[in-house]
Amino acid sequence: MEYGLKPLGQEKTWLWALLLPTLIGLLFGTIGSLLATLLLSFFDWDLITPATFAGLSNYLALFQNAKYLDAFSNTILFTAMYVPLVVVISLFLAVMLNRRIFARGFFRTVYFLPTVTSAVATALVWNMIYGRDTGLLNFVLERVGIHGVCWLCTNNAMLAVVIVNVWGAIGEGMIIFLAGLTAIPRDYYEAATVDGANEPQQFFRITLPLLTPSILFQILISAINAFQAYDYIYMLTRRSGGDSSVPVAVFSIYRNAFHFFKMGDASAQAIQLAVLVAVFMLVLFWWERHFVVYE
Amino acid sequence: MKKMLFTLLIASLLLAACAAPTQTGTETTGGGGEAGAPVEITFMMWGAPEEQVVWGEVVHDFHAANPNINVKIEVSDWDSYWTKLNTLVAGGTPPDVFAMDAPLYLDWQSRGALLNLQPYLDKNPDMLTDVYPQTLTAYKLGDGYYGLPRDFQTIVVFYNKDMFDTAGVPYPSEDWTYDDLKETAKKLTLDTNGDGKTDQYGLWTDTWDMELFWSETIWAYGGNIISDDHTKTLIGEPDARKAWEYIDGLYKDGIMPMPATAGEYGDDLFQAKVAAMTTIGHWAVPGYVQAGINIGIAPMPTGSAGRATSVNSAGFVLSKDSKNPDAAFEFVKFAISPAGQKRLAQLGFAIPILKSVATSDDYLKQPGDLDQQVFLSALDYSHTKPVFRGYEEWSSAVGDGLAPVWDGEADLDPTLDEVVKAADDILAQNK
Repeated sequence: MEYGLKPLGQEKTWLWALLLPTLIGLLFGTIGSLLATLLLSFFDWDLITPATFAGLSNYLALFQNAKYLDAFSNTILFTAMYVPLVVVISLFLAVMLNRRIFARGFFRTVYFLPTVTSAVATALVWNMIYGRDTGLLNFVLERVGIHGVCWLCTNNAMLAVVIVNVWGAIGEGMIIFLAGLTAIPRDYYEAATVDGANEPQQFFRITLPLLTPSILFQILISAINAFQAYDYIYMLTRRSGGDSSVPVAVFSIYRNAFHFFKMGDASAQAIQLAVLVAVFMLVLFWWERHFVVYE
Repeated sequence: MKKMLFTLLIASLLLAACAAPTQTGTETTGGGGEAGAPVEITFMMWGAPEEQVVWGEVVHDFHAANPNINVKIEVSDWDSYWTKLNTLVAGGTPPDVFAMDAPLYLDWQSRGALLNLQPYLDKNPDMLTDVYPQTLTAYKLGDGYYGLPRDFQTIVVFYNKDMFDTAGVPYPSEDWTYDDLKETAKKLTLDTNGDGKTDQYGLWTDTWDMELFWSETIWAYGGNIISDDHTKTLIGEPDARKAWEYIDGLYKDGIMPMPATAGEYGDDLFQAKVAAMTTIGHWAVPGYVQAGINIGIAPMPTGSAGRATSVNSAGFVLSKDSKNPDAAFEFVKFAISPAGQKRLAQLGFAIPILKSVATSDDYLKQPGDLDQQVFLSALDYSHTKPVFRGYEEWSSAVGDGLAPVWDGEADLDPTLDEVVKAADDILAQNK
């Protein structure tokens, strides 16, 4: 799968010169902090007194820390709901908006709007929608005879934040799938029509297989976003004292590191999250080898 | 190879993003300083933009009196302040002087981050004679003071006089009880448009942190928060439980909006004119005055064991590694001198720690025409807000643990048992 032009002679010097700023940033900023986090996870450090070696105790403590386990399972649950919803809904939207329908550009813009709007501002609007007494959602539900619930109380908050996050992400997914759809040659559909294949058959036999690279990419991006999800969730579920009714793993890492004087525990949590994502990624790449169709 | 690189790239991106909400602060300068030459000290605090203006004036006055000392002031909001401070201290470049909230004081002091101010106090024996002793308790340790208060806050009841007048309810009396509070709040809880939903709540306050309501209630019912040696959480003991039951009743009766509901009206329901009463400190006054509320002030009610309120003081500490501790102490000394405290009183957020300033017109005659004396008299029946190691994590275990009870999703007694256990675990880790 090697393609592109190979740099020759002097071009190589320029290539490295131009890449250098990015590589330095990557080396010190990203890989450096990754290694530092890994190292710190084996130490007890409160940021003030010198760090002391702690062996694996920070990792063992993860499994006894009820608050962290809660946050970690929230992240898993969130990802499990968020990723399929984002992929399916944005794929559906892309297929719909790829047709020659009325006001196509308008609808594409509408679905893309949340992506370019500030998360804090939209979270405030969603707060008004979810309100129990004065919220729009409960008002509408009661009009049709359904008794409203407390959307942002502990029991329903997870569902509420998944809805907002999915709503905020489908625009971006739609763009990815639209690009993928445009890349499928029209001839395939014409040939299929001549052979008598109907629309669902065309979708499952042509569109879906040829979109698998986009789907893989979208699952990857959504999963990364899901594991890091923080802004909408915190804005919707924050309590006084900087707490949240749906604490997620990133939130727990931040709290432990900068508020509870537990940098070592926070680092171990970050590493555990990174390992989880790495495992997820390996599964995806295995999936890529077996299912993804490259033209 | 390409794929591996990609994996590594994604993994590292992720990890970097995990550390994303940390906002590392970098701005700081050490300030060299040969003898006699001008020195620069850094002063960091949390606060609102208005506070930054007034503290800028304090710094200006200080510089006029001490032209050799330049003060670099940095103000952040509460959350970023602690993140920034932690980062600077960890990086070995702490500010010379920084603001401290008393409950967190031991977390910093016990880790050796703070300078013992006792040698300076010994040289200035009169410095603390005019200070309210209740505000010093939190900072006083066996071998002296590692911090000094700059202002204090007592918790009192604020009520909206207009709402009382409209409902024809008499204002709270000096000697009212928790039962009176409940009765009064009940009469002020109204469904004004008849749609079956409450439009005006009798009372609203925060029950996440102990400071605004639950510590006062527990003390008034004869309970306590934490044992003197900081090893046992006492909020599950029988007397404290009576206080929790009282609070649970306020939520169950619909007199006080559940925390999840309260969020709909913004951060403060009293300011939004949705609640007729609240319990809060003096820092809320400027906001309430600006909102045009006709405010009345009453002391906290009495419970079965008498009357109680909480006193907490924000203060100053010096970094142990400060290069100019003498100059830094001069600044602290100025800030808690009558000149500095007068500026602070004019700001209207806090109560001065100097008796002479608190009882002068600088404090007593403030916008809003409030009975400022209530805040001062509260000192007589106040308890110091507890100061212990692991305070923030402990608070989170309690506040977070009990939130489902207030939202009507869990039962009080079993939840409280769990919360006490989790809180005790945190105390054990922070010995």
